[in-house]
Amino acid sequence: MALVALEGVGKTFRGRTGAWEAVRDFSLELAEGEFFCLLGTSGCGKTTVLNMLAGFEAPTTGRILLDGKPVRGPGADRGVVFQGHDSLYDWLTALDNIAFGLRLRGMAKAERRAVAQRFLTMVGLTGQGAKHPSELSGGMKQRIQIARALANDPRILLMDEPFGALDAMTRAVLQNELSRIWAETRKTVLFITHDIEEAVALSTRVGVMKRGPGGTLKAVVPVDLPFPRERTSDGFMQTFRQVHALIHEEIHPHE
Amino acid sequence: MNNRAATIGGYVAGFALLFLIWHFASQFLVRSVLFPSPFPVFERAVVLIEDGLLQEAVLASMRRILQGFLLGSALGIPIGLALGSFRPVRLLLEPWTEFFRFIPAVAMITVAVIWFGIGEESKIFLIAYTTVFVVIIATAAGVGAVGKDKIRAAQCLGANRFQLFALVALPATVPYILTGMRLAMANAFVTIVAAELVASNDGLGKMLWDARLFMQVEDIFVALISLGLLGFATDRTFRLLIRAFAGRFNPTM
Repeated sequence: MALVALEGVGKTFRGRTGAWEAVRDFSLELAEGEFFCLLGTSGCGKTTVLNMLAGFEAPTTGRILLDGKPVRGPGADRGVVFQGHDSLYDWLTALDNIAFGLRLRGMAKAERRAVAQRFLTMVGLTGQGAKHPSELSGGMKQRIQIARALANDPRILLMDEPFGALDAMTRAVLQNELSRIWAETRKTVLFITHDIEEAVALSTRVGVMKRGPGGTLKAVVPVDLPFPRERTSDGFMQTFRQVHALIHEEIHPHE
Repeated sequence: MNNRAATIGGYVAGFALLFLIWHFASQFLVRSVLFPSPFPVFERAVVLIEDGLLQEAVLASMRRILQGFLLGSALGIPIGLALGSFRPVRLLLEPWTEFFRFIPAVAMITVAVIWFGIGEESKIFLIAYTTVFVVIIATAAGVGAVGKDKIRAAQCLGANRFQLFALVALPATVPYILTGMRLAMANAFVTIVAAELVASNDGLGKMLWDARLFMQVEDIFVALISLGLLGFATDRTFRLLIRAFAGRFNPTM
């Protein structure tokens, strides 16, 4: 059985300016341990898909199953890494931010600090645990977010363009780090991005979405390349071109 | 450290300049017994301090301010939290806050004296009254301003409704509460003087009133300077407290 199943999922927002169909008839199954990148142009509804799976939004049509059970609202079984870093708690140290989910579960302070320390090391921030978010750089904050979500040991990690706001150098470093962390933990990941190279570098499968409104899954491309990925290798280039061709039609539909 | 020295140096120089201008104004611009130079005022202040009268007045006023301020904050914070968190409470109470905050505490002095007499209670009531609405509005605004992602992150880390409130909404609101309290403190100073002018046996407002009756111009200036210094010191203390206890909540404060 698939870990996650989205079955004919659609979402229509109703506002003062009328209805907006963000996602139409979206179906996808995610297997345990895979790294799935959902790639699409802006406004294609990819973040809406993530928000529905996270439980922040309820689908208008279709259903979403996690371990065979329908998703109803957010829960600790789905960890989320947000695009911005507003989700970190400014009043807590980096270490206490990472331990936050464990604290909610009532784990004793010493124990949860020890766990948090392990994940702090995993994201490469050993010795930075006593700092507050305001003292950390954008890249470090995203590392803290990843550690916070992983420390809570969710069934799946949902990442919404987590590196979108970072500069190119930091982004490349964090992509490599994420690959390493994924190899260590083999956590199932759904990763939203509009960056083709990022998708090919990280994932085991890339799902390309049709442009919005009413975005849906257009094609799924398996990425059978060994880790760590060599971005200039023939295999990488070939997959890149294949995905590029699919997304190009969405950017320039009338050519 | 250098920075702190510069700040203190700036304050000292600023005040010195103020007194210098005052002195020259009294000597050359407005030559009148009704506008004394700083020196007789300082001499008078020394006499009042030696007699213990100034301390007595300052203590009386500050005690009222603190009591009313703490009472008003103790009421305002929970009401503001409830107002910001629950829509029915907001719909019910918002008309109240929007109504009462336009009736100044000064206008309530008469009612306060009728209800509570000219003793401590009426002054504490007025200070609490002037504090409570500012704190309510600031607190409610703070609850409304908690980032959506902060709430969502906690939800998908497994937070229940109580944890969302106690561990996310409340700490995120602290800087707003403290800002509201700081604004309320300034209102409290305005109110206490007015209240003591009208109905009191002691305090800085009473000192101003008596000085007016007996034409003791120096006493008036001593009271005015005391108010300015007290307000200044209180606000600085508040800022230091905010830095010490909550600076990390909001580094811009």
